[in-house]
Amino acid sequence: MKLFEYQAKELFASHGIPVPNSALIHSLDQLDGALAQTGLPCVIKCQVLQGGRGKAGLVKMARNKQEARRLAEDYFAQVPRLKAILVEEAVDYRQELYLGLSMDAKSGQAILMASGEGGVDIEEVSRSAPEKIHTLSIDLLKGLQPFQINDLVYSLGLEKAAFRPVSAVCASLYQAFCRMDAELAEINPLFILKDGQAVAGDGKLNIDDNSAFRHPEYRQGPEHFDSPTAYEAAQEGIPYIEFGGDISLMCAGAGLTNTVFDLVNFEGGTVANYLEYGGPNYTKAGVAMRLCLANNPKVILIVTFGTIARADVMAAGIVQAIQELKPACPIVACLRGTGEERVEEIFAPVGLKQYTDTETAVRKAVGIAAQGDRT
Amino acid sequence: MSILIDRSTRVLVQGMTGKEGSFWSRHMLDLGTQVVAGVTPNKEGQSCCGVPVYHSVRRALLAHPATASMIFVPPRFVMDAVMEALAGGIRLIVTLADGIPLHEQARIRAAGLKANATIIGGNTSGIISPGAGMMGSFPHWIERVYKPGRIGIMTRSGSLTNEIAAMVVAEGFGASTLIGVGGDPIPASRFAEFLPLFQADSQTDAVVIVGELGGSMEEEVAQSLEKGLFTKPLVAFLAGRTAPPGTRMGHAGAIISGQSGTVAEKTRLLEQAGALVAQRPRDVGALLGDALAKRA
Repeated sequence: MKLFEYQAKELFASHGIPVPNSALIHSLDQLDGALAQTGLPCVIKCQVLQGGRGKAGLVKMARNKQEARRLAEDYFAQVPRLKAILVEEAVDYRQELYLGLSMDAKSGQAILMASGEGGVDIEEVSRSAPEKIHTLSIDLLKGLQPFQINDLVYSLGLEKAAFRPVSAVCASLYQAFCRMDAELAEINPLFILKDGQAVAGDGKLNIDDNSAFRHPEYRQGPEHFDSPTAYEAAQEGIPYIEFGGDISLMCAGAGLTNTVFDLVNFEGGTVANYLEYGGPNYTKAGVAMRLCLANNPKVILIVTFGTIARADVMAAGIVQAIQELKPACPIVACLRGTGEERVEEIFAPVGLKQYTDTETAVRKAVGIAAQGDRT
Repeated sequence: MSILIDRSTRVLVQGMTGKEGSFWSRHMLDLGTQVVAGVTPNKEGQSCCGVPVYHSVRRALLAHPATASMIFVPPRFVMDAVMEALAGGIRLIVTLADGIPLHEQARIRAAGLKANATIIGGNTSGIISPGAGMMGSFPHWIERVYKPGRIGIMTRSGSLTNEIAAMVVAEGFGASTLIGVGGDPIPASRFAEFLPLFQADSQTDAVVIVGELGGSMEEEVAQSLEKGLFTKPLVAFLAGRTAPPGTRMGHAGAIISGQSGTVAEKTRLLEQAGALVAQRPRDVGALLGDALAKRA
């Protein structure tokens, strides 16, 4: 789960990391109060989860009240799903750093990445000038040790006065990373002021989904998702992604669903949505089908090869879903695995044909989508 | 005949008395696996599937020496169960649960490296040597998928493994050992780490890997081939060839970040190292057949 910038900064501040003076507004009439707090010039920052906000024009400087008002007005009117804007004092800095923490899968250790040239796309820097990024590995049992931070900060080309402030930010960021079970904690840019003080110009923190139960204070609302259907799928614990094409995938298992996704594209079809309801969700055919139908697909393609997610149980669920939802679009089904020998007989009452080969089923669905109209 | 597990492997089952633990322990026994004892706190004195249950790993090991542990506990208890098995001196551990907190996945991975232990999982069905033994939850009774044979299979995915294994069997082959390394972002063991075992196993003629977008496990396999650590034929099928960048495709680890983790790049590196990469599931059997015929 990704936190919004204002949430990440609140969290960083609570760990002792300096952040700019700011105010969060949810509507235009809160702007004057916010400006009274931050002063001018200020930065108007859309609280959306997409990366590269600067490049996308979603973060802009305002020199006076009129500019601030015009920006905020346009943002609220034009940016989809925008719920809040962060109004922040403009910081006068002399250097921008990058600091980021993530996990290294190969070693099972945390990785702290730092660069003396922050404020830009760090992936771009890692490609074009990898020598500018300094990394250190952190044994999670020992934690981030002072000597490691010390060694790192001397590599960043800092003024002497900035050593201690930057060291303190590194230590605090690591604490936040651990306490929040983060998969990523990032400050880009970390402003270095004339007097050497360090201030977080931006904040990113993604809480690991498997650890969300430990952080009930952060609930995902509809604003975290691309559509109401995506939000509903998440509430059900069903992996679901919209692609805007013709064919709704109602499959089981991430690997198999990705394979069907590829095969549909290979055959020249287009995917309306990715959806997998295997594992603990395999009895939720009704919910899964309803989510698919929300995309108004030309055809629903069901492909499974389950183990614990029994094919016969899934078949019965599909029959019940068809009887309840009466989908207007055709369904192509290919259910294999435990109990597969019973599927044909279970499908019979609703006249659903059972395919036994994935590629044949995909071609059938792509064929229907090529001819069929949306209902 | 197989790697990691055979009929001489003495297996402890942690979390045996639960619904999943008891169901799959029964199937492990049916397949000939030597399950010697179970562990569930507060259940010592009971028996499950005909074997005695103990409060703790230490207490179980006093009466029943074991070399492997199968863990059936819920995700948030997995790390403690793994550490308990390691503390007992066990060096082959399989854990199935999907949903282990990320920082605990990392600690499990680091602990396995430090102890020089083989830990497999989480978010997997485990390992199976058809006809010889199983630590996991595979529907071994489905003959068109789980047939004994001479092909090593490694996979990041569950349902897709059934799909691919069925293609291998349809071509007339079977599996020596199938290892599900799992779909987590930090799997406790990685593909390349098993290649030397398959290389040394006289009963394995070739290896199939079932990978996907994201991470770097397929790239590491390519490096192992380049280094000559594995010289038998290797066929790969990789899901997510048409996935868009930046979108998490089901598994938490299945995401293209920046330019790394694409199936196109994985394919290029694998092919450059001499592996055969199937575009479609159906091609896996044919590529395997060709590679082995050429070798013979």
